[in-house]
Amino acid sequence: MRQILPVADTRDVRRYARRMARTYPRDFAGALGLHVLAAVSGLVAPRLIGGLVEDVQLGTTTSHIDTVAAVIAAFLVAQTVLTRYARYLSYRLGEKVLADLREDFVRNALALPVGTVERAGTGDLLTRTSRDVEALGWSVRFAVPETIIAVITAAFTVVASLLVGVWVLVPLLLGVPVLAVGTRWYLARAKAGYLRENAAYAQINATLAESVDGARTIDALGIGDRRRARLDADVHESYLAERYTLFLRTVWFPTVEMGYLVPTVATLLFGGWLYSTGYASLGAVTAATLYVQQLIDPVDRLISWLDELQVGGAALARLIGVAQVPDDREVSGRQPVHDEIRASDVRFSYLDGRDVLHGVDLELVPGERLAMVGPSGAGKSTLGRLLAGIHPPRRGAVTVGEVGLTELPLDELRGHVALVTQEHHVFVGTIRDNLALAVDTAADDGALRAALEAVDAWEWVAALPDALETKVGSGGMHLTAAQSQQLALARLVLADPHTLVLDEATSLIDPRAARHLERSMGAVLDGRTVIAIAHRLQTAHDADRVAVVEDGVVSEIGSHDELVAARGSYAALWESWHGDGVRPGAG
Amino acid sequence: MKSLPVADPGTPDLRSANRYLLWVARMQSRTVAAAVASGIIWMVAQALMPAFIGKAIDEGVAQQNTGRLWFWSLMLLLAGLTQAVAGVVRHRFSVTMWLDAAFRSIQLLGRTAGRLGAALPKRVATGEVVSVGANDMAQIGNSVDALGRAAGAVVSFLVVAVILLASSTTLGLVVLIGLPLLLIAIGPLLKPLQQRNMRARELQGELNNLASDIVSGLRVLRGIGGEEVFHRRYAAESQRVRAAGVQVARLQSVLDALQILLPGIFVVFVVWLGARFAAAGQLSPGELVAFYGYAAFLVIPLRTATEFANKVIRARVATARLIRILSLEPDFAEPVTPAAEPGGRTLVDAASGFVARPGEMTALVSDDSGETVRLADRLGRFAPGDVTLDGVALAELPMAVVRRRVLVSDTAATLFSGVLRDELDIRDDTTDEELMAVIRTASADDVLVGLPEGLSADVEERGRSFSGGQRQRLVLARALVADPDVLVLVDPTSAVDAHTEARIAERLRDARAGRTTVVVTGSPLLLDRVDKVAFLSGGRVVAEGTHRELLATVDGYRRTVTRGEEAE
Repeated sequence: MRQILPVADTRDVRRYARRMARTYPRDFAGALGLHVLAAVSGLVAPRLIGGLVEDVQLGTTTSHIDTVAAVIAAFLVAQTVLTRYARYLSYRLGEKVLADLREDFVRNALALPVGTVERAGTGDLLTRTSRDVEALGWSVRFAVPETIIAVITAAFTVVASLLVGVWVLVPLLLGVPVLAVGTRWYLARAKAGYLRENAAYAQINATLAESVDGARTIDALGIGDRRRARLDADVHESYLAERYTLFLRTVWFPTVEMGYLVPTVATLLFGGWLYSTGYASLGAVTAATLYVQQLIDPVDRLISWLDELQVGGAALARLIGVAQVPDDREVSGRQPVHDEIRASDVRFSYLDGRDVLHGVDLELVPGERLAMVGPSGAGKSTLGRLLAGIHPPRRGAVTVGEVGLTELPLDELRGHVALVTQEHHVFVGTIRDNLALAVDTAADDGALRAALEAVDAWEWVAALPDALETKVGSGGMHLTAAQSQQLALARLVLADPHTLVLDEATSLIDPRAARHLERSMGAVLDGRTVIAIAHRLQTAHDADRVAVVEDGVVSEIGSHDELVAARGSYAALWESWHGDGVRPGAG
Repeated sequence: MKSLPVADPGTPDLRSANRYLLWVARMQSRTVAAAVASGIIWMVAQALMPAFIGKAIDEGVAQQNTGRLWFWSLMLLLAGLTQAVAGVVRHRFSVTMWLDAAFRSIQLLGRTAGRLGAALPKRVATGEVVSVGANDMAQIGNSVDALGRAAGAVVSFLVVAVILLASSTTLGLVVLIGLPLLLIAIGPLLKPLQQRNMRARELQGELNNLASDIVSGLRVLRGIGGEEVFHRRYAAESQRVRAAGVQVARLQSVLDALQILLPGIFVVFVVWLGARFAAAGQLSPGELVAFYGYAAFLVIPLRTATEFANKVIRARVATARLIRILSLEPDFAEPVTPAAEPGGRTLVDAASGFVARPGEMTALVSDDSGETVRLADRLGRFAPGDVTLDGVALAELPMAVVRRRVLVSDTAATLFSGVLRDELDIRDDTTDEELMAVIRTASADDVLVGLPEGLSADVEERGRSFSGGQRQRLVLARALVADPDVLVLVDPTSAVDAHTEARIAERLRDARAGRTTVVVTGSPLLLDRVDKVAFLSGGRVVAEGTHRELLATVDGYRRTVTRGEEAE
């Protein structure tokens, strides 16, 4: 099983929930106060009805009955109005808290170290952003207010029943051990059970997302059956997880029902005996029975929402767990004194004990074009990512103007160095949104157009029906790989970093489009320090310097001619590239 | 409890959301019947409890008759026990129904994805599909889950009405007529609530889409910056969702309050009438308490009915979204009368005049960037075109046959998560030795060296733990495992270094001996090692020959092949 993102523990969840409750003290107090008043208004009726029963037995007048009924009705209206506003306030508060939560979560997700996201896979994170946010929404919108209402109602109902007679405490207490033991048993197991359910649903989602993203590959290979079997297997795991929690509830529910039944029956028997001894009146016994019955509803709601609260708590634990990923960047506040990027004795490993870079030293000359070549898997891309400040090195340092790249805040870092890889992603939104990601303030149309023109993309963007406002990305207009990469390059023009790392930026684009794109790149590269990771040796031939990366170290560095003359591994590579084929550039 | 998922989810009724939900219920009619039966027992047992309490007060407490008090208390206990047992049985059936409905919907979604194939991502966003898995299936489940309780609500209502009618016609009529009226009174509020809910859900869906987008684009985002800007956009959307949620809350809170007021009015009315009857000697004090109990109890069926209505409303919204996806049609309809499968391996594209012959490895080069890619799409029937396999039009053949015979592996081909061995062995019958041989052909041996578990290593989603070059070679290996009669490779080596590319070019020829192979490439290394190069211009094959022949004789070809090198 792959390493999954952390899940916060109970203490952290409680601390976070408390902090959230304190964020809006006035809304919280207001909602709470109204709920208390509403609950109290709801407790008047049984008392009055108990009195009414006694009055009827002793003989009473119609007008007295009318008066009592009118009073009950008045309290009912009060309860209705109070409930309306109490509910509205708590829903509104819930929406506020929920918005804060998901925005917090997204902020944390955005700050996740890339390596962590890669290891965790997107399925887990996708489930957190959709299902867990949704589950939490349900909890915050309904479960939390309902629970609070239930607690308030139950507490005041107990008080009201004790006002009828302290003896009611005896039957009430009879129910407590049954409820307590059953519920404790359940809650001790429920959280793990629901977490497993969530994980199972996460897997279903990951499989679905993968099937949509890879739909063409699945179709081409004819492995639809296999994907179906995979989904069915995920569903089965989900079923097993569900069946376990169902077992828990099968034990727990009847126990709870007994917990309600015992006090009701006991009140009747005990009250009947007290009445026969003359200790309690008929009205008191009636009112007590009604209160004990009325107590079932809030207690039941409380207990059933505990279940939901646990689901919400589990979701919250997963959401705030994202914040617990140790940050691999630490902003120090130091300012670079110049624009030179330097790597010294850099070591790096993705997995403990398996270094992929073994002490790399590299000094970039501002404005130079450095090509990085070497066999696949030698560590070129990893070095490129370190030079772009994506990861901090395990040992050694990668600095710009003597400040570690990962000490800089992200937005500042991107003013210095940016990375473009063969991976392209068009973000959901308009073309303008996609470009604006690179600039903090709203860029004016002129700047956007200039950036698009610089990469040769203005022509097709202007030809789109909504031009800059065209919706692209998942669900929007489909852009070709080359167009997506052009947008990425236009973004670079806007971000204007002095150093660029290009990791095979054009290699997964069909070749002719790639050539076109490479021409567009001239404008972007001009005047910047460029580290180009490439397998097309022509790139190396044209560069100012070539660094050969082999087995995690820079084995050769120098100009093309120097390296060819040195007759080392670069010379051999160059030989194989054009030795028995066409001599590129000579045609 | 039956084991899920079912082997075959069946054919759903997609004509409307209601029909789909009915179909889901029909597919598990026995469970539905059991849930309804236990739901009825459960609620009727509850409905009888006020009667027993009333009797206990009348005959036991008021008369100070210990025997009767015990008797009615025991009856109460019995009703309570029945309720408890029936309750848990009902819950089990309901959960089974929930799971069946939700899982069946997910399975249908998975099968639709399979049926649509390459057309799927063109028609629907990933976020939409995930949202069905994340939320909609739960909403669909919720609606059938509430069925048992809803049935119990209706029957227990009738039972109470009969009891009331027996003791007092007036009170009985008040209940029988009053309660349905209350339900109707809530009705007008439900529709606007539904609309606001839908709006809120739509916004929530868009917000989820945006968040999913972060996840997929995080690596790209990290390379270029923009986290702050992205977060501001997300926060703005999130606040819109909040505002829509508050709109829902405005109505929802009124509905909640009405759920107290309407039954409350009813309780007050019943108690008031009852007390007057009692004062006149027509009703005993215990009966008055029982009446109060009934009136208070009836809140539960009322609430259950509203809840059921709410869940059905939500489920219909969710179902509508599901149906939209389930109703999508693939790009190409299956031929009505499929042609017999041809034995030959010659693939001909009429539009360009391109011919791929058995035993040959042909390279495709064009002066127009998109042309070769479009041709590859036509050859694999990902795009319409007049393409024949051994004289039989691809359009005349069942899609499964086309896919089995012709495999197009393009640059967008992805790896899937799972065990490496299984992900490569797509035919399910390849031995480790054979796999290792293919991996060697694709020159991907070094990938395995980096994996301590070898072929048993886990592949992450989209093969993310591998570098671009490693992924490309694994994808190539997988295509070779498939071993189709015709293999079309689009830029198979664009992300690998020169050494490796040369090795792959040599080994690929041997591995594909006797079969038809087409390579779309611009790499001189590969072009120099294929049997024949076809050069396209203006969408037609204008020259054919070896790489060196074409270089020497065709100006356009030379310009095309060398242009890219000069441009860098």
